[in-house]
Amino acid sequence: MKQLVLLGLVFAVIGLAPFVISSEFTLNLVIMVLYAALLGQAWNILGGYGGQFSFGHAAYFGTGAYTVAVLQVQLGINPWLGLVAGGVMAMLVAAFIGFATFRYGLRGSYFALVTLAFAEVLRILSNSVPFTGAGVGILIPLDQSAANFQFASKQGFFWVIWVMTLAAFATVWWIGKSRFGAQLMAVRDNEDAARALGVEAFKVKMGAIMLSGLFSGLAGVFYAQYFLYLDPYIAYGPAISIESLLVPIVGGLGTLFGPLLGAIGLHLISEATRELIGDLPGISLVIYGIVLVIMVLFMPRGLAGLVRRLWPKPAPAKAQATEGGHA
Amino acid sequence: MTEKKQSHGIQRRDFLKTTGAAALGLGVTGFPAVLRAQPAAVKVGLIHPVSGFIAFSGTQCREGALMAIADINAAGGIKSLGGAKLEAVLADSQGKPDIGAAEVAKMAEAGVDGFVAGYSSAISLATSQEAAKTNTPHIVDVGVSDSIVNRGLSNTFRFGPGYGKIAAFAVDNLDTINKAAGSPAKTAMIIHEESLFGTGTANLLSEKLPEKGIEVVEVIKHANPTRDFTNIVLQIKSKKPDLIIPANYYNEYVLLARTMRQQRVEAMGIYSVLGGAASNYKFVKEFPEAAEYIMDCNHWFNPKSDVALQRKKAAEDKGLIYTYEVFLAYNAVLGLADAFERAGTTDKEAVNAALASSTMDMSFMPYGPTKMVNGQNEGAQPVNTQVLKGDIEVIFPEEFASAETVFPMK
Repeated sequence: MKQLVLLGLVFAVIGLAPFVISSEFTLNLVIMVLYAALLGQAWNILGGYGGQFSFGHAAYFGTGAYTVAVLQVQLGINPWLGLVAGGVMAMLVAAFIGFATFRYGLRGSYFALVTLAFAEVLRILSNSVPFTGAGVGILIPLDQSAANFQFASKQGFFWVIWVMTLAAFATVWWIGKSRFGAQLMAVRDNEDAARALGVEAFKVKMGAIMLSGLFSGLAGVFYAQYFLYLDPYIAYGPAISIESLLVPIVGGLGTLFGPLLGAIGLHLISEATRELIGDLPGISLVIYGIVLVIMVLFMPRGLAGLVRRLWPKPAPAKAQATEGGHA
Repeated sequence: MTEKKQSHGIQRRDFLKTTGAAALGLGVTGFPAVLRAQPAAVKVGLIHPVSGFIAFSGTQCREGALMAIADINAAGGIKSLGGAKLEAVLADSQGKPDIGAAEVAKMAEAGVDGFVAGYSSAISLATSQEAAKTNTPHIVDVGVSDSIVNRGLSNTFRFGPGYGKIAAFAVDNLDTINKAAGSPAKTAMIIHEESLFGTGTANLLSEKLPEKGIEVVEVIKHANPTRDFTNIVLQIKSKKPDLIIPANYYNEYVLLARTMRQQRVEAMGIYSVLGGAASNYKFVKEFPEAAEYIMDCNHWFNPKSDVALQRKKAAEDKGLIYTYEVFLAYNAVLGLADAFERAGTTDKEAVNAALASSTMDMSFMPYGPTKMVNGQNEGAQPVNTQVLKGDIEVIFPEEFASAETVFPMK
């Protein structure tokens, strides 16, 4: 319950942003942090809590993004309905990929490679079929109104991403407390042992991948409405898959607040390097990479692990958190 | 690099610091009278992908824009603003639309008076849309997608030609060149990269070429990057098209052309639309045999204009390769500066109105009179170039031609 209170508190503080931040740029930064946290938390459900490392979360992100864009542009369907459809479609794609991989017992690097392959297949498909605009991409017409999920100011977008991210974090909090979550973490720690104890590993992993797909898809919908342009590389390219897994790895795998810490950390490093030496082409990216390597080397449990080291809990709770997946 | 920036512009961080400090100083102490007499600098945000996979082109854009700023300042700045100097505020979009848009938001808040961005169409769509929220004038330097200026954004302008015009021009001129040679080319094969530009080109040519009596025997799409063109070239050899039409970025274009040369592909012509390398001196210099006789429909300067030739020399003296990115970004800054000059203010509404009514003399380009319609300069057009004897010559339209077309090439 403590965690729920803390979660509420953290999101309440974040929710103050539109009231205290007048700078559109800074608010944009907060929005992008929440968007990255959503992507990261979506991956964390499957990778951090389920132990299934996916390299292809762009498959769900892109499906959500393309669903809302195609429904709007080709069929004239309101993007708020597209939001629901995008989430559902991404969940269905996740279910398909999950079924195709878990059914045949793919784990570890095999699972990672197959998910990567699925994302690539979808990228090539979206690059070829006409209804996605193929390689030309798809441009959502500019028509700013709240009813059209296009806000004139960033405040509107802030509240959308805030709600989405809060929903993802609340879901992960629930996973941490529920029987489903306990089973998922048991599968992560030792699938064979979990099976021996009666856990239906396939069913549990399917649940995790579908939830993960849903939130990745919602992030895709948000991206599409925020930037109004998609092409196969943006939607299904490896950058999204990498960002999805980088955020929780840096923040803290299998922890509730890890993705948020990772998103904040990564964006702050990125901004700082761009701000300090952004005018020297590529140097900021090099520094960004070096900082990441250092973080991964010296903080194997991510930023959440660092926080835990700085403010240790009483011994029993600490052990439980390490194994049980809570920051 | 650092020296260049010190001479032409300011670091973004310094700019933000300075504006912040200046605002504070104004609030606390008031402006000294002697400073009030100095015309305030006009800030121009230059947002280009100077890192990432299109870094070469982005850097070329940045250099072209910085050259224009240096030239304008050397000529006395914006005279209607008391000789105010242009100051470049630089940012790297890293080839990503979201980062480009974020940089626009940051610069707009810091008081940038106008933008020149963003090389690729995807980035230009994002940056212009973000700039529209503050109605800040935004000139698209290179991005050719027609969607950029078709969205009704009152702050978005482009002095170069859009994609629709370039493609139509390319098809018509190919037809003219072919007919002038007795219509020897009957078949064509298109090899294109997979993004907006390559796919759009392939779609349009596949539709239009049959109307001109040229059958498209095959269209091959390839990924970015592609480093081995052997299979594609073997397919070309098996189909034996009269014309080979590549539509890809620089690296892929060079590799394709080299592989075709190595595999001794024989065709009547290689005809590109916005060819990544076909109108690039680097390619011509480094691979003269592979480049010889290649034709292209692309952005180019007016080879009969002394002004254009002087600018080319100035760029080359700086060690730059004079690619279309350099002069299109240069022109974009000129267009923006011209609008500041005519508006006599940096008021966004007034500058946008000045841009919308621009009749800037662009005789250094092979363009007609400048006329903005929905932000697009209708006078802009591409030209046909051909690599002849190790140089890039304009072959069409005739009024700008510096050489005769060689077709078929064998």
